[in-house]
Amino acid sequence: MSSLLQVDAISKRFGGVQAVSNVSFDVGQNEIYSLIGPNGAGKTTCFNLISGIFPLSEGRITFDGQDLGRVKTHQLAKLGIGRTFQNLAVFKHATVVQNILVGRHSHMETDLFSCLFFAPNARRHEKAHRHKVEEIIEFLEIEDIRMQPVGTLSYGLQKRVELGRALATEPKLLLLDEMVSGMNAEETEDIARFILDIKDELGISVLMVEHDMGIVMDISDRVCVLNFGEKIASGTPEEISKNTAVIEAYLGHSGGG
Amino acid sequence: MRSGHFIESYDKLVNLTDNPVKMAWSWILVLVLALAPLVLDSFWTSICATVLITAIGIIGLNLLVGTTGQISLGHSGFLAVGAYATAILTMDYQVPGIIAILLSGFIAAFFGLIVGIPSLRLKGLYLAITTMAFAIIINHVILNAEDITRGSEGFIIDPLQVFGFSFESDASIYYLSLIILVLTVLGALNLMRSHIGRAWVGIRDHDIAAKVMGINLTTYKLLAFMVSAFFAGIAGSILAFQLQYINVDNFSLLLGIEALSMIIVGGLGSISGSIVGVIFIIFLNELVRITTGIFADDGGTMSLYIHEMKGLLYGVVIVLFLRFEPDGIMGKWRDIKNYWSNWPFHH
Repeated sequence: MSSLLQVDAISKRFGGVQAVSNVSFDVGQNEIYSLIGPNGAGKTTCFNLISGIFPLSEGRITFDGQDLGRVKTHQLAKLGIGRTFQNLAVFKHATVVQNILVGRHSHMETDLFSCLFFAPNARRHEKAHRHKVEEIIEFLEIEDIRMQPVGTLSYGLQKRVELGRALATEPKLLLLDEMVSGMNAEETEDIARFILDIKDELGISVLMVEHDMGIVMDISDRVCVLNFGEKIASGTPEEISKNTAVIEAYLGHSGGG
Repeated sequence: MRSGHFIESYDKLVNLTDNPVKMAWSWILVLVLALAPLVLDSFWTSICATVLITAIGIIGLNLLVGTTGQISLGHSGFLAVGAYATAILTMDYQVPGIIAILLSGFIAAFFGLIVGIPSLRLKGLYLAITTMAFAIIINHVILNAEDITRGSEGFIIDPLQVFGFSFESDASIYYLSLIILVLTVLGALNLMRSHIGRAWVGIRDHDIAAKVMGINLTTYKLLAFMVSAFFAGIAGSILAFQLQYINVDNFSLLLGIEALSMIIVGGLGSISGSIVGVIFIIFLNELVRITTGIFADDGGTMSLYIHEMKGLLYGVVIVLFLRFEPDGIMGKWRDIKNYWSNWPFHH
């Protein structure tokens, strides 16, 4: 399996705190890869390092053969990396359609003056992107809320809109940061189904940070476990669930004092 | 939700409005505005012209503050830049008036770029102070660069001439402002329905998410400052032609506060709200002036305090709106509309 994203011995220090140290893993084409670990293990920091929100202290991240070291955050969408955030990061005053249209931003090339006069090319582009957005809305089954301001929707639906916005960037790799936290069983199941569809129908690789072990063990192809910023195990869900280091990290020492 | 209303093509979706009633009312409004000077006397025509000119600048300010979420207390500075650019270009360099209006907009936009650079690092209160500093600097430059700006003496400007027609009467300035305002509204609406407007809203609501979606924050924040300053510069330019005499007192810091109160009253991020806010504040001003005039029996002791009273009034209006209707008059209008279109099933 050729790898799409290669994370090579990355480290991140915040002052005296070593948030991530010497972590390596790789995500293959058309794969669901989960990053798990107890609270404060450095999972979200890893995400922020991949999406360039924090600079790396050490190490190297390669995506699709390209070093991400010099790539700016706003260029990632164009390269093919989409992401969602741990806490809701939707544009809550805008409607669902507008939110997803923002995801199309990196594919829009009309200049200021054609926008100012809404010239024929601006209209043509706008229509083409609307078409794409409607496809995503249909995929995520959110047709009936498409004109509502996102701030008025339930938490689960807002998360789904955020997923739609990330999909609108037409990524090759989707980073999902705790997609199902705070969701009920039904909503979690919906999201799990969408993630599988994203992989199978759209052919997008998914890298997710998740606390919900149910969804991780059910849909992941491979899992990587972090603890205190270090990688303690990686492998298939079956291997991970039997790994003693992982059980120790989550439940503490067995039989000790 | 309106019943029996179906959108059948993407064309309909990207139109400014798919509602023929709304379209008809917009045209009727423009028609009424076009006929207004025929029934109004010179004084009220001039007040209405001021409303139109101010609305041009306020739409610009609202794109920056309301839509992009970058606060500016320095828009009196951009207005001053536009007005003085027009004065200098037409009087000292004999640039034709219509070209001077456009150039003034671009010069103000250039200043917008310079003021916008600190905004890349600053937010909220710090940005407010930086932009206010810009307005103060502009005032000082006007006072001290006497060779260029005539200093405290002020600048006399000839009326605008276009193909031999002289824009001297209040009605002619009114029509000029009306045409430019209509163009401004259309331009702003077009920006709002394109990816540029959506990028601005994204920056306002969640800048990190906007960045991850591929929006270059540097470019779009600076663009917002430039477009905003451009409209303020155009407004300043027409103001110079309306007043035909400008000096530094026309561009006090209070003007920047007044401008903010207009967008808060009207509705942050709303283009129609900008216009409603301008009407509200300017007519409130007139009301204050008229009432103080009535009570000024002993030669105008009351009118001596008119400046202080205006300042007080802006403060009260801002506080009341922020407390009771933070979305402004347009927010109230939206609530009323929702109430009645869902009636009797509202909740």
